[in-house]
Amino acid sequence: MKIIIIGYGTVGQALTKILYEKEKQLFNKYGLRSNIVAVVDRGGAIISKTRLKYSTLMKAKASGTVASDPNFGKPGLKALQVIEEEAADVVIELTPTNIIDGEPGMSNIKSALTNKKNVITTNKGPLVLALITLIELARHNGVHLRFSGAVGGGLPVLNFAKKSLIGDRIISIKGILNGTTNYILTRMAEAHISLETALKEAQLAGYAEADPSYDLNGVDTACKLAIMSNWILDKNVKLKDINVSGILDVTLSNIKKIEKKGQTIKLVGSIDDEKIVVKPQTLSKNNPICVDGVLNAVAFNMESAGEITLVGGGAGGVVTSSAILRDLIEIRRYTNS
Amino acid sequence: MKIVMKFGGTSLTDGEGIKRVVEITKTSLLKEIKIVIIVSAMASITDSLFEVISRAELGDLEYIKDFIGKLATIHHNAVKVTVNDKEILEKAMSEINALVKELERILFSVSYLREATPRSRDYILSFGEKLSTAIVCAAFQNQKFEAYWFTGGEAGIITDDNFGDAKPLMNITTQQVKEKINPLVEEAQIPIITGYIARTQDNVTTTLGRGGSDYSATIIARALDFDEVWLWKDTDGIMTADPKIEPMATTIPIISYSEAIEMAYFGAKVIHPKALEPVFEQQIKVRIKNIFNPNGLDTIIEKHPWTNTDKIVKSIVMIRDVAMVTVSGTEMIGMPGIAAKVFGILGDNKINILMISQSSSEANISFIVPRGDLNNIVNVVESALLGSVVKNIYSESDICVVAVVGVGMKGIPGVAAKVFKAVADEGINVRMIAQGSSELNISFVVGEENDVRTVRALHKEFQMDKFNRSVSLI
Repeated sequence: MKIIIIGYGTVGQALTKILYEKEKQLFNKYGLRSNIVAVVDRGGAIISKTRLKYSTLMKAKASGTVASDPNFGKPGLKALQVIEEEAADVVIELTPTNIIDGEPGMSNIKSALTNKKNVITTNKGPLVLALITLIELARHNGVHLRFSGAVGGGLPVLNFAKKSLIGDRIISIKGILNGTTNYILTRMAEAHISLETALKEAQLAGYAEADPSYDLNGVDTACKLAIMSNWILDKNVKLKDINVSGILDVTLSNIKKIEKKGQTIKLVGSIDDEKIVVKPQTLSKNNPICVDGVLNAVAFNMESAGEITLVGGGAGGVVTSSAILRDLIEIRRYTNS
Repeated sequence: MKIVMKFGGTSLTDGEGIKRVVEITKTSLLKEIKIVIIVSAMASITDSLFEVISRAELGDLEYIKDFIGKLATIHHNAVKVTVNDKEILEKAMSEINALVKELERILFSVSYLREATPRSRDYILSFGEKLSTAIVCAAFQNQKFEAYWFTGGEAGIITDDNFGDAKPLMNITTQQVKEKINPLVEEAQIPIITGYIARTQDNVTTTLGRGGSDYSATIIARALDFDEVWLWKDTDGIMTADPKIEPMATTIPIISYSEAIEMAYFGAKVIHPKALEPVFEQQIKVRIKNIFNPNGLDTIIEKHPWTNTDKIVKSIVMIRDVAMVTVSGTEMIGMPGIAAKVFGILGDNKINILMISQSSSEANISFIVPRGDLNNIVNVVESALLGSVVKNIYSESDICVVAVVGVGMKGIPGVAAKVFKAVADEGINVRMIAQGSSELNISFVVGEENDVRTVRALHKEFQMDKFNRSVSLI
């Protein structure tokens, strides 16, 4: 399959690594041959009619942008032009989330679908703002739109809920959906350090973005809840319908005060029939969703099956790449290229 | 209050008609109602475009030249009557000239190729609405309103590529129409949008098929989440019967979406069923109003039927130009699959069947078809079935279908008895009967010579001239 990658940060690079490293295995087991034919980042694009070599990509990226490659680099070339003009089966859209208008992801995804290219994305902006529109566009053009990595990182939350829980009714969903804030809160509780110090640690460890505001103010968690509500529960939820408070007001003394009772504070997102809320909550350490570090946990409260909890790695390039790879294999199963 | 107003071709016969459109809209604007306007092509222009396409396919260049001349004159005259501001007039005239010129070029190319593809056909048809909308927009600007016009596609209506009968991709359309049109509405400007036409995701012009302008209006209302859609026509709403047949016919105050759909199916030319699809879910009210009698009676189509009515039956619709075909044979009795065979053949030949009835003995099946297709249909059925289990195929073309429609009939015993007693009392013989299990209608076939008498007898029986309008206002 010919692949275009738009946005080449941690996730994109980790994905490339996996695709090349597991190349043989993926081909033998799933018939998946991933030919990355174009990559676009802020500096421009790198394009080849056949597959790009791993070393070429890494070398170019190491000097700042993929467009710096002397043979295949196209400095300044925009994603939209690449999507429209280059032949490809799948566009993997990994640009950063923007909840105001979803751009540039929104235009990239729309253009890819309109040009009859399958889309995999982890970009929550377009999904939160226009999920039903994008699904309609994909269906109309006979292609697939997959976004496993947008919620839960490596944790297969969306597919699990949509496929494995069929027949039963989901009464409520509750979980820790943001790895960055969970790392910060965990470090505050473990090492008794301030939020600012813990944030710096997270940034050094590569768990927090340069601009971590969407993580800290709860918006990232709210986006994930919106996607879950709309996709899993067929609701029509907008961000403004969600009551959001982040972790900026959580202090070390708040945490210290309750730790003796075997409790701690976590940023919890919850969905039930009445409301959708993101807020720091006091949880008992015995609670199955009370996980530490960058782990994510999601508990589905089912009418018949009772409570089912998924726990796993939520953040990081490699973990999120595993979700993208699942999407890629599924698309491969549906198509025959 | 936010309203989509749609003005049909009968509202747009000439410059005077367009002036009337502006006056009517003004009345609502003064009440601080926010309005989006949908405009059809001027009267009979769409028909003439269909005609010129078939002439172009024959390579008739003279006809095209003549047509273009006439088309320009009609629209020039209309704009001259409506616009007196020199600048606006000049701009509108040059818009018209540019459109007409483009159309001429396309028609010429069709005539060279001797072929109009579905895609080019839709593009040609779109000129009727573009021309009329440009003029209506100029007429509003002439009255100092801040008005802007868009094609349906520019306004954000995106459809599939089923040219000639395209369907909107409603989610994308909603998003785009909101982005494009909402800011104008908020600023109290007047967006004026062509009816009937839209475009694909690749910006190729499409048309929405029959009843397309009403469809445009309801699509826009749904996308913008407006309160009501007002469809301006040339009758006082939907009537209890055709006033040409029954002079006592009166306006029905309220009907439900499902009643309107039933009536449309039976040929009441008020609204195409598909035009109700977009508003059905969001329960946006649709009003049918008379452009020539704006303060007169109108009909509201809405979700909840008028429950307070003593009227079991709301409308009597008659379909002429139909014929009845009966297929019979004693061997058909107990023969599995015979009905499937008959209708399968009709389906394969794309024949539309309006009504079906099979006797319980299974010795015969009758169905109603459009009269124009009768010879063809009999031929098709004969060559496929005659001589096997089917022994006889006979047809009658001197018939008509009468349908009695009303949600009040549901679950009320004795309605059918009342219907057929009224008809029998007139000495009229009923040839065939069908009732849908929705119980929204009873339809039956009578001899064509009894058409008017049947409608009048039923109108009288159900006292349909006396609709209690005060109840409708509750």
